Amino acid sequence: MASDDSVKMDAIVVGGGPAGLTAALTMARAGLEVMLVERGEYAGAKNVGGLLYGTVLERLMPGFYEKAPIERCVARRSLVFLAPEEHMALDFGAEAWARPPFNHTFIVHRSAFDRWYAAQAEEAGVNLIEGMVVEDLVTETSGGETKVCGVRIAGDEVFYADTVILADGANCLVTERARAALKLRGGRVEQDFAIGAKEILSLPKERIEDRFDLEDGQGAAIDFFGAPFDGLIGGGFLYTARESLHLGFAARIGSLTKAGLSPNDVLERLKAHPLVRRRIQGAELLEYSAHMIPEGGYDAVGDVSGHGVMIAGDAAGLVNMSLYKEGTNHAMESGRLAGETAVEAHGRKDASAAVLAGYAEKLRGGIVMKDLKKYRKVPVVLERSPDLLGLYPRKVNRLLTDFFTVSERTKSKTQREAIRAFLRGLPKWRFLRDAVRARHLA
Amino acid sequence: MTDAPEKMTLADKLYRTKYEPDAAHPHIVVDQAVCATCKDRVCLVVCPAEVYKADPNDPKKVAVSHENCLECGTCRKACPFDGIEWKYPEGGRGVKYRFG
Repeated sequence: MASDDSVKMDAIVVGGGPAGLTAALTMARAGLEVMLVERGEYAGAKNVGGLLYGTVLERLMPGFYEKAPIERCVARRSLVFLAPEEHMALDFGAEAWARPPFNHTFIVHRSAFDRWYAAQAEEAGVNLIEGMVVEDLVTETSGGETKVCGVRIAGDEVFYADTVILADGANCLVTERARAALKLRGGRVEQDFAIGAKEILSLPKERIEDRFDLEDGQGAAIDFFGAPFDGLIGGGFLYTARESLHLGFAARIGSLTKAGLSPNDVLERLKAHPLVRRRIQGAELLEYSAHMIPEGGYDAVGDVSGHGVMIAGDAAGLVNMSLYKEGTNHAMESGRLAGETAVEAHGRKDASAAVLAGYAEKLRGGIVMKDLKKYRKVPVVLERSPDLLGLYPRKVNRLLTDFFTVSERTKSKTQREAIRAFLRGLPKWRFLRDAVRARHLA
Repeated sequence: MTDAPEKMTLADKLYRTKYEPDAAHPHIVVDQAVCATCKDRVCLVVCPAEVYKADPNDPKKVAVSHENCLECGTCRKACPFDGIEWKYPEGGRGVKYRFG
């Protein structure tokens, strides 16, 4: 029990990213006494990202993009398939994406964005404690049931709360302890992680806008597939910030160890591709960073609540790893739902497992788990059909370049040869099987 | 024609990333008994900051440069023998992204 000199809050949030800050903001707005503990010197100090999806934030703070440190809106997207010396791109966009609400898709520097978001939470009344590590949870066991009743900060200081919301991200040591202490069930499959590594490359604003065909404030988000990632389950990305580029990739950890490739080697491979090289020409490295991404999807999500505790965001594994690659909005939505559930528990003076299970129910009945469910087969499809990201795009690339190769041969012959080259080495049955499986990715 | 960009070494890259070092409190400790029998040593491959290297003085050991750690946690997930004891660095210490 709390001794007289220890602090007792209505709720404590562990982690100042999109999930934790949204949970804290939601609770503070409802009048709860909330403390948020962030281990970085400032919120965002440990976070890596690029794309921010703003659907949830738009509902919480309409027009947030007017004030938040947004680098550019995403006015254009591209899917680029790379063969060693060829490329094939699908480029699309809409003028509407360059107007409010900007298709809810923004390019940000997370260090700046998270710090801004933390300031909004603080303004709403959240007690923001930065530069403090939560070492462990304080638990109590009675009648065979364990409940979370607070957190232990480095230096053995203890803070108590009715509800603790864990939003400690992909590398979630505190959540792991909670899972063990409360015997929370894991998902149907073990969580599988990707490692993402990227560079922030400085380039003058005008050069970015000229090079990527953008107007002031507009940005491009490019996804890369193919040759630089041969043998890996993963792909690359390039996002244009205001005066810098985010260039990086993410690949399943197991695929990297199997291929014996280090993240930095893969990043260098991507940078060495002629198309990418021209995009980043003259840009200077400002920062190199890395972060994990939970990619197990729907089936890797386990229990997200127990007595006195809820788990949100990456710590719960709520990332959509299809082409949409949404994570920040899922983090915010889960944080919002956890926050709302904590407010209800506060009103009922009951944060038992049964009451906080309401969070899990809301999550399952809402957009986050519905979207994750739609793409539940993505991890398995990518594992079992690696040619989808490697061989097939390369083949189509080759087909196109062969088709448009100018020579003294007749067009009939050129085309026949192109089709023959396309079919050569294409495993027919596997191709058909993979084509059918690919429907799970869309 | 394009200029071939100079390829930076990883050490050069890490130099651009900001850290608040804490030399006195290593947040990573490897179990050398495990490392001595480990053949694959995936940590040497998979760490984006090459924190793990074969110890030049004793090839049975793994040398750890914890001050370069980007705190992604990949090594924890990759080590098949749970040979890495990984804690968060002390509050405010470790990597400090200026862009992220």
